Amino acid sequence: MNPSPAENIYLPKVAVVEGLNDEIPDVKTVHWHLTNPEEQKAFLAAFKPGQFCLVSIPGNGEFTLSLPPSPTEGKTFFTLRRVGVCSRAFQEYKPGDKFALRGPFGNGFPMESFYGKNIVVVAGGIGLIPLRSTIVYVLANREKFKGVQIFYGAKTPKELMYAEDLKKWEKGGAEFYLTVDRADPGYTGNIGVVGTLFKRPGVKVNVENTVAFVCGPPIMFRFVIKDLLELGFKESAIVSTLERYMKCGVGKCGHCCVGVSYVCVDGPVFTYEQLKRLGESI
Amino acid sequence: MKARILSRADVLKVVDQLRGLGYEVVAPLAGRGRDSAFEIVTDANRDKVEVHVPNPYNPAKRYVFPQLERLLKIQKVDGDIHFEPTVEGPKRAIFGIRSCDLRGIYHLDRFFLGRDFTDCYVEKKRKNLFLVNVACTDATRDIGSQCFCMCTDSGPAARENFDLQIMDLGSEFMAVAGSPAGEALFSAPFYKKCSLGHVQKRAAVLEEARKQLKDATTWFSGAVRYVSSGRVAEKTWQDVGNRCVECGGCTFVCPACTCFTVTDREVAPGEIERMRVWDSCALSGFTRMAGGHNPRKAVHDRRNRRFFRKLHHYFVQRELSVACVGCGRCAEVCHGDVGMPSVVEMIRRAATESDKNESLTR
Repeated sequence: MNPSPAENIYLPKVAVVEGLNDEIPDVKTVHWHLTNPEEQKAFLAAFKPGQFCLVSIPGNGEFTLSLPPSPTEGKTFFTLRRVGVCSRAFQEYKPGDKFALRGPFGNGFPMESFYGKNIVVVAGGIGLIPLRSTIVYVLANREKFKGVQIFYGAKTPKELMYAEDLKKWEKGGAEFYLTVDRADPGYTGNIGVVGTLFKRPGVKVNVENTVAFVCGPPIMFRFVIKDLLELGFKESAIVSTLERYMKCGVGKCGHCCVGVSYVCVDGPVFTYEQLKRLGESI
Repeated sequence: MKARILSRADVLKVVDQLRGLGYEVVAPLAGRGRDSAFEIVTDANRDKVEVHVPNPYNPAKRYVFPQLERLLKIQKVDGDIHFEPTVEGPKRAIFGIRSCDLRGIYHLDRFFLGRDFTDCYVEKKRKNLFLVNVACTDATRDIGSQCFCMCTDSGPAARENFDLQIMDLGSEFMAVAGSPAGEALFSAPFYKKCSLGHVQKRAAVLEEARKQLKDATTWFSGAVRYVSSGRVAEKTWQDVGNRCVECGGCTFVCPACTCFTVTDREVAPGEIERMRVWDSCALSGFTRMAGGHNPRKAVHDRRNRRFFRKLHHYFVQRELSVACVGCGRCAEVCHGDVGMPSVVEMIRRAATESDKNESLTR
């Protein structure tokens, strides 16, 4: 006799694709919902900013995707770049196609513990995907936070993600700063890596009673951490989310283990202070 | 715990008794030279079963956590997907599992069943598994040159986690029950009463067995301390890494290694099997992500990984169990001589060296 699905940690739930839209070259957003309305309801009630799912593309395998929607939005979607077997196959899906997923997994950002604080979000490239959830959550619960500053950098203007959201965030309730490494003709905004925004005239980064969210490619991460520490941030006030190869999402397969932590169950969210003490360089 | 005495002629009746109770019995059967392997006991090979056999290179781990296992059957029909879990766990007994491997099974219990998420595939196999432990008392057959179970406190005779333990007292065998199921076996007439003299004899035999263990490593706890406090120099890990040929052998013969990968295979159009396969932190692709970024690229980072996972006290506390059982298999199979005993020794030497230099410069 097989155990009921709830007891099997490797058994995914079936979901259906609602639609896809292009974000930037190679990156698409896939909107979906679980086929069982009860499960969808439970999922929407359960997930937190910073969590992730293990997505099954039958025949190709399972892969890890972070959850870019905020629980305040009432919708579910993934944003993914085509890099491997599964992401390539998933991007070819059409509305109505079925896949499956397990999750939400991971600790997520402890948003309640940040109430009453200033929020600084620093994102580089597709590092905005896991941080989108946080930004939308913070703006939806704007009265619970003090100052909100968002710094976002991409390689070129063509690679700025979530165009619709960016427009909203520029207007609504937050200081919003944008930069690109290389400008295109017609681009009039800031040029330079994301850290250069901190030193722009007229920009004053909140440091006291502030939590900084950082996510981006490894090199951007290293430099932004350096900049933030120079600005006076405590190591415990910088939070990030790690990305690792995963096969189970529940602390069993061993792939995502970094030092003394399993990224899937102890993370993916860590403070910079924790990251330094994992016992292995990240 | 209850104990009984078995005559030399009767000891293998335990195998028959278990088979009679409907267990599929597996036992280590001797091959050529030192070789041995766990095999299912049948009428044809029943007479080949022995009590004293060199411990097989392939541990008994696979009876709860197989090297290759189907997790799900997936069917794609008319655009729909159906998942069918295939959780299997036959009624099985292992006759002659060594104390180190028993500790390995216990570690898998702690790891797969003891935390937030329970692995029902391991659980079902484990629940239906009956374990007959044989204490290692024979200096030539049982105790190998690389055994160091004294250091990991797992042998030569297990104190717990078995259903039945058999120990050779010389003229006869002692059977100790470790569970109600084990004790139930004592109802058969060939189990004879045990006297105080037998118990004293057991203690003497065990003491003698301890003396037969070679000095494969004597500094295990020291290594745990050094790894846990981050006092092993990068240079030492590089030396270990330089000797690793990245074959993954150490992890595949380890009774306490738990890493696996999951892969889908199409067996017919629209019919897919999701398989779980053992994986190894020694292999370069272990941490490589889609797109090619690999946080643990250098070989010594990966070797560091294995010993960090096994020796850091954080993991010992996390699972309340050490992920090294002292069986010495990694040392026996390693081409570069960086099995656990050697690595412990390398850590000890480096520590002694740096302590010496420190006192000179003070």
